[in-house]
Order: sequence, then C-alpha cells, then structure tokens
Amino acid sequence: MTLPFFSKVKRGENEPHGKMRIFVPKDAAAVACGADAVAAAIARSAAQTGAPVEIVRNGSRGLLWLEPLVELEMGGIRYGFGPIEADAVASLLNTGLLRGDLKALSVHPKWLGVVNKIDYFARQTRLTFARCGLTDPLSLESYRALGGYKGLEKALSLSPAGIVDAVAKSGLRGRGGAGFPTGIKWQTVHDTSAAQKYIVCNADEGDSGTFADRMLMEGDPFLLIEGMTIAGLAVGATKGFIYIRSEYPHAIAALKAAISIARKSGLLGADVAGSKRAFDLEVRTGAGAYVCGEETALLDSLEGKRGMVRAKPPLPAHKGLFGRPTVINNVLSLAAVPFILAEGAKTYLDYGMGRSRGTMPIQLAGNIKRGGLFETAFGICLGELVEDIGGGTASGRPVKAVQVGGPLGAYFPRSHFDTPFDYEAFAKRDGLIGHAGVVVFDDTADMAKQARFAFEFCAVESCGKCTPCRIGSTRGAETVDKIMAGDASEANLALVTDLCNTMKFGSLCALGGFTPYPVLSALTHFPEDFRRTPRLQAAE
Amino acid sequence: MAPQTEKTARAIAAEFGNRPDALIEILHKLQGEIGYVPEATVPALADALNVSRAEVHGVVTFYHAFRHKPAGRHVLKMCRAEACQAMGCEALVERAESRLGVSCGGTSADGRVTLEPIYCLGLCATAPSAMLDGRVVGRLTPAKLDALLKEAGT
Amino acid sequence: MALIKETDYGTPAAKAEKAVTLTIDGTKITVPEGTSIMRAAMEIGTQIPKLCATDSIEAFGSCRLCLVEIEGRNGTPASCTTPVAEGIVVHTQNQRLKQIRRGVMELYISDHPLDCLTCAANGDCELQDMAGAVGLRDVRYGYQGANHVFAKHNGKANSEWLPKDESNPYFTYDPSKCIVCNRCVRACEEVQGTFALTISGRGFDSRVSPGMSESFLDSECVSCGACVQACPTATLTEKAVIEIGQPEHSVVTTCAYCGVGCSFKAEMRGEEVVRMVPYKDGKANRGHSCVKGRFAWGYATHTERILEPMLRDKITDPWRETTWEEAIGRVATEFKRIQYQYGKDAVGGITSSRCTNEETFLVQKLIRAGFGVNNVDTCARVCHSPTGYGLKTAFGTSAGTQDFDSIEHTDVVMIIGANPTDGHPVFASRMKKRLRQGAKLIVLDPRRIDMVRSPHIQADHHLPLTPGTNVAVLTAWRTSSPPRASSTRRSCASVATGRTSRSGPRSCRDRSTRPRSPPSIPASIQPRCAAPLASMQPAATPPSTTA
Repeated sequence: MTLPFFSKVKRGENEPHGKMRIFVPKDAAAVACGADAVAAAIARSAAQTGAPVEIVRNGSRGLLWLEPLVELEMGGIRYGFGPIEADAVASLLNTGLLRGDLKALSVHPKWLGVVNKIDYFARQTRLTFARCGLTDPLSLESYRALGGYKGLEKALSLSPAGIVDAVAKSGLRGRGGAGFPTGIKWQTVHDTSAAQKYIVCNADEGDSGTFADRMLMEGDPFLLIEGMTIAGLAVGATKGFIYIRSEYPHAIAALKAAISIARKSGLLGADVAGSKRAFDLEVRTGAGAYVCGEETALLDSLEGKRGMVRAKPPLPAHKGLFGRPTVINNVLSLAAVPFILAEGAKTYLDYGMGRSRGTMPIQLAGNIKRGGLFETAFGICLGELVEDIGGGTASGRPVKAVQVGGPLGAYFPRSHFDTPFDYEAFAKRDGLIGHAGVVVFDDTADMAKQARFAFEFCAVESCGKCTPCRIGSTRGAETVDKIMAGDASEANLALVTDLCNTMKFGSLCALGGFTPYPVLSALTHFPEDFRRTPRLQAAE
Repeated sequence: MAPQTEKTARAIAAEFGNRPDALIEILHKLQGEIGYVPEATVPALADALNVSRAEVHGVVTFYHAFRHKPAGRHVLKMCRAEACQAMGCEALVERAESRLGVSCGGTSADGRVTLEPIYCLGLCATAPSAMLDGRVVGRLTPAKLDALLKEAGT
Repeated sequence: MALIKETDYGTPAAKAEKAVTLTIDGTKITVPEGTSIMRAAMEIGTQIPKLCATDSIEAFGSCRLCLVEIEGRNGTPASCTTPVAEGIVVHTQNQRLKQIRRGVMELYISDHPLDCLTCAANGDCELQDMAGAVGLRDVRYGYQGANHVFAKHNGKANSEWLPKDESNPYFTYDPSKCIVCNRCVRACEEVQGTFALTISGRGFDSRVSPGMSESFLDSECVSCGACVQACPTATLTEKAVIEIGQPEHSVVTTCAYCGVGCSFKAEMRGEEVVRMVPYKDGKANRGHSCVKGRFAWGYATHTERILEPMLRDKITDPWRETTWEEAIGRVATEFKRIQYQYGKDAVGGITSSRCTNEETFLVQKLIRAGFGVNNVDTCARVCHSPTGYGLKTAFGTSAGTQDFDSIEHTDVVMIIGANPTDGHPVFASRMKKRLRQGAKLIVLDPRRIDMVRSPHIQADHHLPLTPGTNVAVLTAWRTSSPPRASSTRRSCASVATGRTSRSGPRSCRDRSTRPRSPPSIPASIQPRCAAPLASMQPAATPPSTTA
C-alpha cells in the first residue's frame, strides 16, 4: 500500500530545464576558497546583462582541489570550471559563461569538461553521495526527483523488525570508526522496551582529515533526515537529535533549514508522511570538545552536562540518552540506510570485501594534489588512493607518511601502500580505518613531532576522567620532548612504549586508548626521526 | 552590568523551556549575545534550570567554546590539526603570533584580535584553514594571512 | 575495641532476586544478579586494587586500577563497572594486569606530593595502599613535568597549582593532593544530593571545584562530610586529624541531635575524640551524616561547658562552684520548702520528648513518688500523643510505621509541616535520591521549604496552606475519594472556598455516612481556611531520571 503522500512526486532524473543553470557550491570548503564572491559576481553580471540564467548554490561535488567548481548546465549536461577563485570570475564571464558559449568556454584554461566524466568522479561508486553536488540541498522537490524518500516509503511498508533485518543483512558497519554492525545495534534497541527511545546522530566529525559528514549535511541534508526517520521507525523511537560540532556553522544552518522544510512538508512530526507514526528531529551544537565524538560523552553533552565518557556496560542501546534505549550512529551510517531500504540489502552487501561491506566515502586530505571525497567500495588499496587518484603530494615532494583514520590513526609508510581499505586488513597492520580520513605528509614531516602532537592533542581533548589519558597524555608529550632533545633517549623510548601499553589497555575510551596508534606507528616505521643527539640538535 | 546579563541569561533559558539538557544551547546563545559567559550569569542559569551553580560552572569550564572574558574585536581561529599541519599551518601560526605580538590563545595588546587554535574545521582538503569572525578561509598563505590581519585592523 | 575498618566492597549491593555463579581466581561464588565483579571478589576476600570505587556510590570506572581479565572476552574490563555473568571465569592478577596497574600508579604518583611521612593521611591513605599493592618502585617520568604539586614550576608561578582551602571550620581541601577520582563529586550528588561540587576544566587541568571555584565555605556545600569520608587521600581531611593524628580505636554510638538517630563511629585516640565517622551499618543513616553529628560535636569538650555544679542565692549573685552533695541537697531542701510554704501542687515538672524513655520515667517518678503530685507533662502530649493514638487506631502500632530503608521503594512522598533538609538532613538526602529516580513529591507547608525546589528536586505539588489550617486540609482530603492529583485539587479547592467536613474520625471509617458534598463551615472560620487555589503549584515536569 503506497501512502498517498508518496504518489505525489514523479520519479526520474533531473529534467533538463529550458533555462541555463549555473552551479556555484555553497559548501564550506568552496566558500573558504571564495565561492560566495564568485556567486555574487556571476549574479551581478547576470542581472546587469539580463541573461536568462538560474544560479543554484549546490553542495560540493567533492573534487575539492577544483573548488570553487563552477558548473554550467546546458541541455541537461553539466560542464565544469575550476578552481574559480574570485580573481578568475571575470575571465570566465568574458568567455561567454552567461551566453553558454561552449565553443569558447571549452578552451578556457579552467575548463574541466563534463563533470561526471572527470576521472576522479567517474571512478567512484556513489551510493551515499549520489545526490551531493547535483542539487540545491534545500530543495525537497529535487531530492525526491532524484530518488529521495524512496527508502522511507519502503520502510513504512515493512514492520519495524523488517527494517532492522534489512539493515542487518546489508552488512553496514558503523562508519564513525568503531565499525560495529549497525544491524545488531538497531536490533538491541528494537528489542528493549521503553516508554521513550531516541535516535542520536553523531555529527561531531572531529577527526582531522575528515569532512564527509560536513559535506553531506551541507550538500544533501534530507538524506540524513530520511535515514534517521527510518531508524526511528525501525526501533520505535519518536525523537532524534543531531549533535553537530560548533566548528561546522554551515552544516548546522543547513540541517536546521532542512528540518524545518521537512516538518512543513509532513515528513517530520506527529504524522510522518501520513503514516500516523511520529518522528521529529532537533539539532544540537557541540562546544569545542573532540571527546564528545565518543558516543557516551556525546550523550552526556546532549543532557547538558560535561562531556565525560561513561563506562560500558550499560550500552547506550539499553541505557542511553536520559537513561533510555538509544541508537547512536554516525552521519554516514544513517545516510547509508535510505539506499539500503530503497535498493535492497543485497545490493549494498554486494559491494566491498571480507566483512567490510558496502561503500566508504573516503576523504583525501592534507598534503595531497587532488584532495576530496572519494566514495568507493571497500577493497581499494591505500597506494591507489594516495598516488593514482590523489596524485601524490601537493608539494610535489615524495610522500613520507599517510595517517588514516584521524588523529588516533596510525601513520603508514609507503611500504604499507598495498593495504586494502578493509577494517580487518588495517587492524592487522596496527592501523585503523576510522572515519576514512586519509592525510598525506611529504618528506618535510618530522614524525617525532607528529608523535608528540598525538600526545598533545590527546592532552588538549582529554575529558579528564581516566588516569591513563588525563595524566598519560601530558607525560607522553613531555617524554617525546626529552627524546627529541636527545635526553636519555633509549630509556625514554622504552618509557613511551610502556606508556602506550598502559594507555592502550587501561584507557576508558578510544581517545586515550588509540593515541598509541599514531605514536607507536611513528616509532616503528620512522625510528630515524627519533634518533636525535644533543649534538645534532645544536646543528639544526 | 551584572543584573542585565542575568536578565538576559534567564530570558534565554526560558526560551529553551528552562530545560537542564539545553544548557549548552543556552550558553551558545548567551555568548552569541554578550560575547562571553559572564560569571554573574552562572547562578542565574543554575536557578532557572534548577541545577546547582557547581554544575553550570563545570559545564562552562569544560567546553573550550565558552569564554570567561570578552574576546578582542576580531577572533582569528587557525586550524592546527594534522591535515593543516601537513600543509604548513605551524609556520603560519608563528607568523600570526609574531605579527600580533601574542601567543596562540591570547589577545593583541590593542584589543583588536584574539588568536586561537582550532582543531579541525572540516576543510582538510583545502588546507591550511582558518576562520575569521565566523567566516571560513581556506588555502591560507602568508600573503592571505597578512590580508586577513589587515582586515582585522592590525 | 580497635579501630573499626568497615569493608569497602567497591560498589553498592545489588538487590536482585536472581543469583549468578561465577569463578574468580579459581573460587566459585554466587551473588545476586547485577553485582559487580569487584564486589563479588571482595565477598571472597580478594581485594582488587581500586581508587575511584567505594560502595556508597555507583561505579565510575575512572582510575583503571581494577582491571581484570575474563576468559573468552577481549581486553581488560574494569571490575567495578562490569556486572557478574553466569559461568564467567575471572582472573584478577596476571602479568598484563600487573603491568597496566603499575603504569597507572606511576602516572598518579608523577603528579602527587611525596610527603607521606608528614601527610595527614599517613596510615589512612588509599593511594599509599595502592602504590604498595601494585609494587610501584619508580616513577620514570621524574618530577620536572607539569604538575599540581608545586606552587612554582620552572621558576615561574605554576598555573596548575591551587592553594589549600581552609575556609571550612571542620575540614581542609588541598588540591595539590587530588587524584581526581571524583568520589567527592559523586558523593555530594548521589548520597547527599546537594551537587555542590564539580570538576572545573578538563583533562590534566581538572580540579575539584566547590561551586564556581569558590571556597568551600562560600559554595553551596552544607558540610555534611560525605566528600571528606569518600576522599581516598588527604585532599579532603578533617582538621582534627591534621591537628591530632590518626585515631586508634572506635566506639559505635548514636547521634543525639535529631530524630534520625545516625550511627557513628567515634574514632578516638585514648580519651580524645579525633573524629566522628558515620557507621555504614547504621540502619537509619547507612553510612551518611550531616554537619551536626559529623562535625558539630565540639560542644562536648567546649571550653564554656559547665563541668561542676554551681549555686547562687540570689539572681544578682555570681555563680559559685560547689559539690554535688551541696547542690543536690540545696535543690531538695528548697523544693521541700516551696511545697511546705505554698502547698504540694506548687511544684511540677516537664520532660522533653527528646529525653530518652528512661529519663522521662525517672522524671515522672521523681514528681509522683518524690514530690507526691501528679504535675508532670511532656511536649509529646501535643505531638506524639495524638499521632500515637491515630497510628495505633489505624495501623495497630504507635511507633514509626516503617524503616528509613522503605524510602527506596516509595512512589509518592508527602511532607506535611516538616522541613527535612534542615531538621532531618540525612533522611532528606535519602528522600531526594528517591525523588531523583522519579518518585513524586507533595509538600503541605506554609513555608517554601528547600524540598519544594532545589537542584534536581521539584515538588509536583506545593500547597502553602495558611498556618493553622492543617486539620481542615487533611479532613477535606479525607472526605474525598482516594487521593489523586485531581482530587487533591478538588479538596484543596473546597478548602479555599471554606467548605470542609467537620465530622470526626468516626464518619471517615463509616463510608456510608461520608457526605457527598461537604457541609459548609461557619463564616467565622472561613477566612482562616482561605488558602488560595492560585497558590497550588501545577504538576512539574518529572524530575530527571538520571539519578
């Protein structure tokens, strides 16, 4: 039975418009590179010349080295130009952008051709980021025209247990970093009876080198809303919270606007899409604490308290927000759900390898020539990502180390470039995928300094509850300082290793528990950076 | 001064239904209006939310986003996390410190600029990144930094 | 007897019916479901090292000393936060655990003063005990790093260091010794319910903060002493211990200050009381106390306390110390003279209901047998005499109808004319704990007592009735159907309009005679019953369930 709500929209590709459309992203990365000025300049010019052009501020395509990526859509095909910073707009306009003069434009120095055919883009398997960059993120019509809310429609035709089953069969694992099977988490909450349950979205994307959550929230917010609504139906939760870090003001604004639109359109509220089932969402802001990306600290933060990590058991699935059964998932985990419901669990499962199923939106960042979002099935090798797709370093110097998984991820040397993107394969090499951020360092990087930073970052962000992290991070930084000063290096190297053992097994959460990953990997793979003598230091 | 900030705090708390779980939202809004979280507002908030002064104080001091005193006229946040490090942010931070005559975390003597570290704006592929008064800036270079500082009046 | 050291099981007792059997270090043990592994181990006498756990408060899992290994499970879970499970096999000591524990203690001691010999906690310090327990021999980090110990660091003022807070007359707070175990904060929250303490800052900067990093005396602290009791180091210590030293024997006694009757261990050195520590086995207080019994016992040895009998002939004369013989002799002679001069009935006596039964018996015996009159009374006549009658008639006994422990199962608390946070603080704390778990609260009192609204407590209904109208309110209540919130309003509304039942107890028991609509009462009484309906507080949002 199709709810009347869903038969209103006709499905199909983005139909060609009579008007020409120019896309200038409003994604924060594009804005940081001047996209607002570019859009304004184009708009001014269009107004002055009276050109019959619609300017759309879209999400980012994720080809971040090309941002601001201006697109011209004619006859349903989108042609790209980038990077167009403020000083390059004039030339683009002069080359006939507003007249759609493809012949002239195709020889413009920033011409990229058909965006969908750009190799970096074409090689991806965009299941989650399918719409990102294609539409005005706040256009519900565009969202639905491109298949949005098909997942919810399917979910409403299933029992709650049926929805959970689909997610379980898809093989989806938590995309925040823990990689815990999402289906099992939802099953636990589904099975726990309570007067009130919650869905919490962890959008505190604190890992350096990651921006997929931000891009998605800014570029395709309805996808997250749809995913959370399906989650609510699956487990019996009527209320959801999205906890967004305060460092993401654009994402916060985008989600608040999208929620308002969804509510007005009957997709959130007491009667979702005419189903008589209730689900509503609230955006909450973080306040500068990386540790609030840890699920239990996030829950404490949502309760208006200090973001302290809670001991487990009890699991949030049993006793979470306000002591109620709570599903807490990363943005990407929830955003993967509509596809799974719409296209079927098996379709998702068929991508990937081993126990890592579906696609992972990998983020290439740092000292990399072609940084951006690359969504692909699990199994691709690290080297292919860094050198082939990413193009090696931005500086042109050799790649020295790659940190995968954020500040708590291991530094991999070139010799580990054959590691496939798979949870188990990375773990086997004492690394982790985490949220799939890949940060590239060239040979000017000092790995002892990076190891020191790992401790320093842990010290800055420690919630202070458990001893190994609260005191260990400070002592770790001090000890690396001593090593770097050539002070009793051997003894202090042994001490750092011992400290890492204490932190790894003794810490209450992954902040202290995983700090040893970057430290030990730096020590293991780049020991020469740690061998300093006072004599050498004076010469530096 | 004190009674006015307390009134503001109570009004904001009331907007959020005096719900204790909304404390962080309330503090954000309060700081947005006043520029920082005045100490005088802590007992007022505690009373409005029916929690203790200690609890509110604990929250205010836990989160780095909340200031205890007003910032300079402009706030320049420079990202110092790994991706930006890989693209040379540390040299830029040193440059900013030297130009402003402060160490990271401090406010210039003329009160114009507060320089703060920030750990990740999610602009990791367009590094080095910064935020001036809430406006994001990417692909920072020494020249771009100088331009930002000039914009902030120093 | 020697110093009573009550066993600290680490985590509170579980109250489940179901039993679970597990093996710890080769020994099988059966405990209620929900018991922590730490507590189960303690039951068989195995003391797993711990610092942040204590059995008066819920497990926290922060010190990371109590880690154990469970066969078949990865990692090293904390035994305080891990509940027992049927059939699990636990090991509390092996090479890996030893190494981690030593590593943790090494970190603790790297930021702690090394003045054990002159420290107030010497001989009674859990940090000392743990360093010994794990075999800590060396702190390889040295002591030049960041710390909270020294006022100066690298030649400059140490921003992490805080001076001692001696503002409270009874105990001292020394931040330089704090290990941030959070026991004090949790005790103030869970046991006392005042929430006066928090942790200020985060990470390495974390320090216990009374109020807004105020002094203890300026903060919301009520000096109940729960934090001092919970503190495993010298950070929070009784000033008496600092001045005198460690006690060497205990005497269990009962506090005489109020009707709760908390059990205490008077910890002594010789004849000198060093401190009063709540006795965990006390059925009234279960190990908690308030400022009165905990600290304000100085009156017993106060310099102004009168130790010898004194006499004077005229009120304008100065007091003259004398012997017991002369004093008692003079009193007896004078009473006899008064009776002879003014008649037998010129003498009478009153005992306080706070006297013990034995003391009251003696007084009335003196009056009746000694003075030969019946002129004896007690304030209990207007207090417990009518309540005793009522209770006996209704329940068959005139004693308290239930024990203090029963508060833990209560769904609704109604406070009439009492101010527990001031009058019976320890019981108020136990009530507050239950209220924070979701029980409802009705307060009938003209005063806006603390229980009406204080951190995390909000009465669902507060009826600030006019003084003197208790009887009217209660009889109005009684004449309506079984009390529910809506009928409470109705009966209170009937009070407001001056219409209450004036029938006596008999009509209550005989339901057939209970009037359907209460008869009106004389106009002369109406103004006194006019508690305005508007003063009824609407039902509050339920208190937070995160107790």
